[in-house]
Amino acid sequence: MKKLGLGFCLSAVMALTSMAWAAEQPPKKETPPDLYEGTPDWYRAVYKDNVGMKEGSGPFKDYFKPQMLDMYWQPNRHYEPMKNLDHSIFIEKERRDLCVTCHEEATPGVVRDWRSSGHKNPKSTPYLSARTAEIEKRTNRVLNEVHCFDCHADTKKKQIRMPTGEVCGECHRPQFDDFLREREMGRPNHIQSWEANTIVPWYAEAARRGYLYGQHGCDLCHSGAEKCDVCHTRHKFSAAEGRQPEACITCHMGPDHPDSESYGESKHGVIYEKEGEHYDFNRPLSEVRPGKDYRTPTCQFCHMYEKHGRFIHNPVMKGIWRMGTVPPKNLEYTSSLKDYPYGIKIIPDKIDIYSEENVAKRSYWLEVCAKCHSDRFADTYLKSLDEFMFQAHTLADKAQKVVEDLIADGFLYPGAADRDPYPLSDGIEKQLSPAFLGEPIYNAFKTLKGKFPVVGPILGVYGMFLQQQDNPSNIENMYNRLWFWYKLQGYKGTAHVQQDVSWWWGQAPMMMEFTKIQSEAARLRREGRIEKVSLK
Amino acid sequence: MKPKALLSKVGLWSATAAASAALVIGIAPITAKALNIPTEVTEDGKNTYKKFCSACHGEEGKGDGPVARSMLPKPRDFTRGAYKFRTTPSGSLPTDEDIYRTISYGVPNSTMIPWDILTEQQRASVIPVLKSFSEAFEVRKPEAPVAVGLEVRPTEKTVAEGKKIYEEKLECWKCHGVEGRGDGPSAAEQEDDFGFPIKPFDFTTGKFKGGNSSRDVYLRFTTGLNGTPMPSFAKELTDEQRWCLTHYVISLIKPEETSK
Repeated sequence: MKKLGLGFCLSAVMALTSMAWAAEQPPKKETPPDLYEGTPDWYRAVYKDNVGMKEGSGPFKDYFKPQMLDMYWQPNRHYEPMKNLDHSIFIEKERRDLCVTCHEEATPGVVRDWRSSGHKNPKSTPYLSARTAEIEKRTNRVLNEVHCFDCHADTKKKQIRMPTGEVCGECHRPQFDDFLREREMGRPNHIQSWEANTIVPWYAEAARRGYLYGQHGCDLCHSGAEKCDVCHTRHKFSAAEGRQPEACITCHMGPDHPDSESYGESKHGVIYEKEGEHYDFNRPLSEVRPGKDYRTPTCQFCHMYEKHGRFIHNPVMKGIWRMGTVPPKNLEYTSSLKDYPYGIKIIPDKIDIYSEENVAKRSYWLEVCAKCHSDRFADTYLKSLDEFMFQAHTLADKAQKVVEDLIADGFLYPGAADRDPYPLSDGIEKQLSPAFLGEPIYNAFKTLKGKFPVVGPILGVYGMFLQQQDNPSNIENMYNRLWFWYKLQGYKGTAHVQQDVSWWWGQAPMMMEFTKIQSEAARLRREGRIEKVSLK
Repeated sequence: MKPKALLSKVGLWSATAAASAALVIGIAPITAKALNIPTEVTEDGKNTYKKFCSACHGEEGKGDGPVARSMLPKPRDFTRGAYKFRTTPSGSLPTDEDIYRTISYGVPNSTMIPWDILTEQQRASVIPVLKSFSEAFEVRKPEAPVAVGLEVRPTEKTVAEGKKIYEEKLECWKCHGVEGRGDGPSAAEQEDDFGFPIKPFDFTTGKFKGGNSSRDVYLRFTTGLNGTPMPSFAKELTDEQRWCLTHYVISLIKPEETSK
């Protein structure tokens, strides 16, 4: 009887379960993708809400009008559909065929790109087909073709839109969510690159002084925040392309982060250069067999490796030294760097290279290196990178001390009182608050109106982006080059194992600049003393 | 290509052509006739032109709208009254139905889409607007459409005869290339009446600008393309020879090679 009861219970459970399975599962309602998810309220008002060309973006939006090009760089905020060719009729009537008919002639490259893309034929290979099936399941749609209309038609407003990551994220949600996680790491990252571009007071100040169009160089890289085509170019949007090192180099090059130069001329890069045609970029990173599919690693293979064999669709998660600008906690400083970040809330604190988090990250790096190198070799190499960085930061500290002592002793020439103030000091006082800058810094702006020298990371970097009347002076410029160029060049040269970049672009000019700073300081002191004597 | 394959190809295209011809004859003119094409410029016509045409063709029909500058071929400048696709003899103005047909059918290989997205009435309404841009319509009337007789049956012989005309009699190849790819030795020098370089048509694409039916192609040889270096051969060729040439150029289509 007991057994009968048990059997009855079991079959009842089974029946119920199968009924539950049989019931049609409604598609899971996903929250729509939002690039500004988790940001403070004020972000939306200055970065996301569309204002067209009326005002700029960021906290200093009222101090400059955007360039028209900004609508392509930051579509959420600035995009306006073209006025002289109204596309609404094509959207209202959903005439998909006409997009291609006209653009096949108007912009044939675009259409050919699309024709050869996974969007045109989302089921052309078993791999693509499987990915498409996942998207179909998640979005409850049938996808035999992803058409111009699907991304470019704003069916609510009946106008053309410039797609952002949010549009891509409707289908490519896992990649979108991974990209969103860059915020966890804070700047520098890609998703906040437009914020980084416009939150700095010198951007608005330069625009105000008539240098808006001189900032193309800034905008072209910092426009990577909202768009996916930075790495997966229009209109192929190829995953394979995004896996190639060349996808990174248009931005990741030059004096502040010579990644292209240092990787490209390293043994890793040179072997890629020689044998790149044999690298299988169609393989997802997680399936790449080092030594077979890639003989040497790519930017993506190292930087998008998250941990324990898993890859993540953003390259910042494992960063320890980040861009090399933030001083480490693990040094004794002689200059004001000991007080970094000076109570400023919107910049990151010093890095503890040996924090639990960073030690764990280092082990994830070693997991990557150990695909080809011995654990001991890789660990020794990366420890030598840490030591290089400690030395470089120590040298920068010494140089900063020389400049700061000169200022403290009143020998900076021209002095702060006789030159232009710190960029946009009026705006900083008006738009920011102690909540952003901390009491001391905010009060300094409030009382001195920016008539004070600012050197070193990170606010002192303004001199790299805006030169005003006698501000910064020669010695401050020298120090900027030391810590923002040569230190960072040495960092990338060492990190990417490129000896020439490490030495001739890094350590050597850093030392040369240091002695130049010493001589300049001595000269200024001497002239100052002579002036005092002669005035007596 | 073996003659037999060629024949079957011509047969196929003729069938398609016949079907399209039936469609064109069957629908376009009758619809146009059933339509009331206004004789005067109307508000509706002006608004339709401004909204949908002026971006390319310009507010005053000069072919200089704001998006025209990057377009090739350039949008038509209506001020000369020179229309390419007509049923009327060389040099003549087009009939209203000709203009209606081009608007509705579009011009393949160009950014001129088939404007069937507009209502028939809207399409008809812009015709007087286009005509108003050129004085020619005030001083002249379009001549009567040329009579298109019964098509000569496409055979191996008509194709061969057409080839002879193409290669020897008219030397079409000098512009259009030996294989019809629009790459003949004089191709690069061609200019239209508006001073723009013009590329001789590439028959291999199979996207005939004035329509793919053999009647359409025959009409191009008979009427010429006003405003372009492509003349009419109504005088040089007999009616039958024009059909032969039609069959030959249709046989040059290689859609498999040029599919985009």
